[in-house]
Amino acid sequence: MEMLGLSLALFGAALAAALAGIGSAIGIGVAGGAAAGVMTEDPNKFGSCLILQALPGTQGIYGLLIAFFVLNKLGLLGGAGAVALTWNQGLQIFASCLPIAVVGWYSAIWQGKTSAASIQMISKKPEAMGKAIILPAMVETYAVLALLTSILMLMGVQVG
Amino acid sequence: MSYVYAVARLRGMENHLLDSAFFSRLMDSATIDDAVKALGETSYSQWISQTGTANFDKAIDSEILATCEELKSFVPDKELLDIFRLPYDFHNVKVLLKGLFKVRGGETEGRRYDLLSKLGTIDTEELTNAIETEEYGFLPYGLTDLIPQCWQLWDATKNAQAVELLIDHQMFKAMLEVAEGLKMPDVIQWVRYKIDAENLRGAIRLSRMKYDAAKALPFFHEGGTIRPDDMAKLLNEPQETWSRILSYTDIGAVLNALNEQSDMKASLTDVSKALDDYLLKVLENAKYSMDAPANVLLFLLSKEAEARNMRVALVCVAGGLDRDFGRRLLK
Repeated sequence: MEMLGLSLALFGAALAAALAGIGSAIGIGVAGGAAAGVMTEDPNKFGSCLILQALPGTQGIYGLLIAFFVLNKLGLLGGAGAVALTWNQGLQIFASCLPIAVVGWYSAIWQGKTSAASIQMISKKPEAMGKAIILPAMVETYAVLALLTSILMLMGVQVG
Repeated sequence: MSYVYAVARLRGMENHLLDSAFFSRLMDSATIDDAVKALGETSYSQWISQTGTANFDKAIDSEILATCEELKSFVPDKELLDIFRLPYDFHNVKVLLKGLFKVRGGETEGRRYDLLSKLGTIDTEELTNAIETEEYGFLPYGLTDLIPQCWQLWDATKNAQAVELLIDHQMFKAMLEVAEGLKMPDVIQWVRYKIDAENLRGAIRLSRMKYDAAKALPFFHEGGTIRPDDMAKLLNEPQETWSRILSYTDIGAVLNALNEQSDMKASLTDVSKALDDYLLKVLENAKYSMDAPANVLLFLLSKEAEARNMRVALVCVAGGLDRDFGRRLLK
């Protein structure tokens, strides 16, 4: 039982990095498919396509950030050894990781779809690049909110 | 299967479609050579340089064929292309059978291979061999059973129009089967609307011929959203009331528009144009989706409309026909 708290906390960190990362990979994949289609016809659109394709990648970074935050909180990064955690504290850290894990996963996929649509838009109207970035960026808002929630929750958890 | 790549690529290809302003300019060309010069920067120029200006019809077919081949390389479901190409197969069957009817009737010049289209899914040589040697076993889309039925009907009635109708019935049946096999609701719906449009076109034609409604049922195809019975009943009513009778259907709106323009007496060409526009509009919702398979069909129909416009424009220029009349025919 004494390792349960630590296990729960690590499981949370793993979920944050993994789910948000999976979402980003799918999102970038979807947008990448659209970018490849557009660039087959017009290779000059590489720059615009790349920016839009990269947008769903941020959720993966947010997940990784939260995972680092948790590992740091557990004392696993400095080499000083893990702090002792009750199962209750472990569960709190696990819960703190859920917002970015779930929202990051899902929002990255939808942002990828919106990016793909925006890529198709700039294929027809290259002058609308600004608007094309704003549309998928709206989805980003909720990933940022989830990141903030996870950070605030983690800061509130008392360990050690 | 994901259509994100395919639809994005189609969006890029759409940029190369020629617009009505281009065709209007093309029609202003004084000679066919001037028109060919105007085509210099379009994808048609490569084909015209191969076939020569006199054979621009073949050049236009080559352009559509090349487009189909290109799409085949990246569209996940090839059957979507078959839905577009299948009518050309049935057109070829009609050409070959009619030719053989004439040959068997004693006309030595009956065969018209020049009317065969290469746009079908079945190679024209294979199809010709199959029909001439009566070995239909390998033919798809129900042609194996259809062709012997056509011969039976011809032997019994010597009525080429009845044979054509039989072929058309099978064509729409095959189109619907292919669409249903794809399990794409938009595409199935489009095929059903296409059957409605064809039935409505037939109804208008029959009505103008004052055809007896009781005998009209065989002219209508099964599979549309409007039952053939209901289509046949329209013939008992004045054409002006059809839009009200069909107001429960989407195609009723087309009639409504024609009525509003007091154009119900318009030429069949104008009615056909309105129905073709309607069939394009049905698919236009797909434009708002980044991965709707119906975009493939929409692109192909747009390309076909472009090819048709090209044909109209070049025929007008080559034949020195009235340009205003030609412009009216543009889609």
